[in-house]
Amino acid sequence: MIPILEIKNLNKFFGGLRALKDISFNINQGEIIGLIGPNGAGKTTLFNCVAGIEKPTDGRITFSIDDRAFSIGGRKPETVTALGIARTFQNIRLFDNLTVSDNVKIGRHCRTRSIFFGAVIRSKFQRTEEKMITESAEQFLEFVGLKGRGQEIASSMPYGDQRRLEIARALATEPRLLMLDEPAAGMNPQESRGLTKLIHRIRDEGITVLLIEHDMKVVMGVCERVVVINHGEWLAEGVPQDVQNNPKVIEAYLGTGAADAAQAG
Amino acid sequence: MDKPISPNLTRGAKIRIGLLILALVLPVLPLVSDYLLHIIILIFLYMILSLGLNIVPGFNGLLDLGYVGFYGIGAYTSGLLTYHFGLSYWVIIPLAFINGAIWGILLGAPTLRLTGDYFAIVTFGFSELVVLFLTNEIWLTRGPLGLPGIDVVSIDLTLFGGPKWEFVGEVPYYYLALCMVLVTVFVMYRIQDSRLGRAWFAIRDDEVAAVSCGINLLTYKVIAFAISAAFGAVGGSFFARWVTFLSPDMFKFWESFLILCMIVLGGMGNIWGVMIGAALLVSLSEVLREILPLFGLPAEVRFLAFGLIMVLMMRYRPAGMLPIPAVAAQMRAGRTKRKKEKPVAGLKS
Amino acid sequence: MFLQQLVNGLVIGGIYAMIAVGYTMIYGVIQLINFAHGEIYMLGAFFAITFISFLSLPFYVAFPLSMACCAICGVLLDIVAYRPLRRSPRLAALITAIGMSIFLQNLAMIIWGSRPKPFPQEALPAYFDTTAVSFGGVNLSWFHIFIFGLTLVMMIGLNLIIKKTRWGKAMRAVAQNQTMAALAGINVNRVISYTFALAGALGGAAGIMVGAYYNSIYPTMGYVAGVKAFAAAVLGGIGSVPGAMLGGVVLGVAEAFGAGYLSSLYRDGISYAVMIIVIILIPAGLFGRVLKETKKSM
Repeated sequence: MIPILEIKNLNKFFGGLRALKDISFNINQGEIIGLIGPNGAGKTTLFNCVAGIEKPTDGRITFSIDDRAFSIGGRKPETVTALGIARTFQNIRLFDNLTVSDNVKIGRHCRTRSIFFGAVIRSKFQRTEEKMITESAEQFLEFVGLKGRGQEIASSMPYGDQRRLEIARALATEPRLLMLDEPAAGMNPQESRGLTKLIHRIRDEGITVLLIEHDMKVVMGVCERVVVINHGEWLAEGVPQDVQNNPKVIEAYLGTGAADAAQAG
Repeated sequence: MDKPISPNLTRGAKIRIGLLILALVLPVLPLVSDYLLHIIILIFLYMILSLGLNIVPGFNGLLDLGYVGFYGIGAYTSGLLTYHFGLSYWVIIPLAFINGAIWGILLGAPTLRLTGDYFAIVTFGFSELVVLFLTNEIWLTRGPLGLPGIDVVSIDLTLFGGPKWEFVGEVPYYYLALCMVLVTVFVMYRIQDSRLGRAWFAIRDDEVAAVSCGINLLTYKVIAFAISAAFGAVGGSFFARWVTFLSPDMFKFWESFLILCMIVLGGMGNIWGVMIGAALLVSLSEVLREILPLFGLPAEVRFLAFGLIMVLMMRYRPAGMLPIPAVAAQMRAGRTKRKKEKPVAGLKS
Repeated sequence: MFLQQLVNGLVIGGIYAMIAVGYTMIYGVIQLINFAHGEIYMLGAFFAITFISFLSLPFYVAFPLSMACCAICGVLLDIVAYRPLRRSPRLAALITAIGMSIFLQNLAMIIWGSRPKPFPQEALPAYFDTTAVSFGGVNLSWFHIFIFGLTLVMMIGLNLIIKKTRWGKAMRAVAQNQTMAALAGINVNRVISYTFALAGALGGAAGIMVGAYYNSIYPTMGYVAGVKAFAAAVLGGIGSVPGAMLGGVVLGVAEAFGAGYLSSLYRDGISYAVMIIVIILIPAGLFGRVLKETKKSM
């Protein structure tokens, strides 16, 4: 089985600063993978390289679906999204002043076609497409638990709901791989549990999930495999329990000597 | 967004219907002189131009300083085609639309990838070059002498064995302009509530989020610019056939600035705001044009008022008189593009 | 012909350079294209003829006095129009700048009338007209020497100020990073005012020289000159003072040759074309940094 995402020897320099160093790992279809590491480890940079916001300095990223492989390092973000990789942002990037419904509808952009003449003349094609956009937007909102909230303004929603909205918008692009950047940040335990359930349901729809997360409860509860990076380098990989007890990982988070202390204590 | 038509119309809708009825019967009302009709036609023309310009800063958030270039290109193309080939107005209008769009694409494609300041400057340079061209290429445009004797609009049914009816006086132009405004407003509303409009608003609100939804920034910005230019050219075509005389100094930068004032004053991005801005500034301009010479000042000085208005507007009400929330948020002092932080102390990954 | 055009080009190029450094310095510290800068240049010329004609001041007094007035105008422009918008988005600041430009042009029209005025030639030193140097069929008058010399002195002076003085260092600090400059104890607003004063003084000087040399002063003279100087600043790399100086000279010479050999009708068009081409092809110009878009954090 070919992995849905293969990252091989990924390097990223920002001027003289090396943000990613020879990172390699794979993600298989249908997995829920956690990407963890201390602050500044390079996790969001990695997301950005995959999503096309940043261009890798070196290395290969290969996205494979339906027996076709696409090399996506250095492609533009809109191309990557059209290919089937969606992402959310660490600092939520919604269209603040548009309605909840419009936010999700915009997510449908890459799967629809009408432009000027369709808009003005309202051809049959355009009307059918617009109807589909509206209906599917409602479905995605319902899927994430925001049913009926379509007419609210995005920025007026509570924080946790904004996160859900961003996920709904990402889902609306019909991704095969969904990358979530700290989705549980700022959530209380109840919201985190809801998020965990949502991620499981997303995977049940056949979407592979890669998430950056600091909340270990969420990571333990939802990730089947975890990849740990530190200082831009791959550190460890495995099921959550193993990674949690890995001395190198403990050291990375808590500093040298902590691993021994953990073992002794 | 298909709501059933409720029997109780909103106040806004009632006002608009009232205005429409007023507009339809205006020419036959007593006390309505040709001069007044002329002013209102001017208002209609600037409404079309303002709605066209509104697409770029209002819907997309980019500053276009060269709008008069498209207006001039449209006017002169229309004027010359009429003058040399006697083309019918009804053929020229779609041609003008396409011509404007082509120029918009030609100018926009290499420049819309630039940052906002540079883009504004390049559009400004473009419109200045257009004026220079119109002034200097005397073999084509008769330069500063101007292009007189452009045919009036006519409805020519001779091909079908009918009469040819030429527009005489202001009244036929009034109704023509009114129709054109209504069509323009209709098109703007349709775009606003469509995939294209949403893509533009996404770009205006957050470009990074927009690309992550699959929107190609350059493509959609060029489309916006092209449609904006198309309406500018259509406005110019009407202008040429209405005043039947063109000269290059009608298309200087001040026109661009004036139209920009209209949309800023009225409320960028807001279709009705922009139209009200046009009505207000044209009226103000005419009033000042009459009053200033009484104080011994040249009429051009009315631009001083506009400059002052813009400075004050930016200071106190940058989103205009009828602001829309998206643009108000954009123009508010202190707003940076930095997005929300997590409520918990968040650090970069 | 060649040498004549070269001389013309260098004269006008020096003028453009003096105006261009104003644009570039202001852009450096507040990231704003000061559309009204051309109007300060225009006011310099008007102040000079007003001082000479109405107050009967001699030329060598009117000149620095006008420069000082322009410096004050620049500072006022910032305080009144731009400072309140310091935290506003660029669109608002740009519109304000254009608004001020139009306002000042028309204010000048009200005060001094829109018809071009001659420069009171009798106020200029008599020897300005006489030839100082002659070579290759070209006569350089003392007036030419004066303009060259003054431009050169001011450019050198500006460079010294920026490199050697405390104020210059503060300006460079603010241009690099306003927040850090403030944290380092620099009074950012004061530095910005100082920049406007410098820019205004130089622009005013340019205006006086142009007005005297071409013997024609009118309220809209700042408009075209301003755009061209801005083109020069872009050519040199906006934000770079040496770039603006070089850009000014290059543009002036290009314009002179273009007008002389290609087409005098499109004299102004050369600047616009240069500007557009430079912006599209090499936005960083000869020396400079690309206009920054504030980078959004992910």
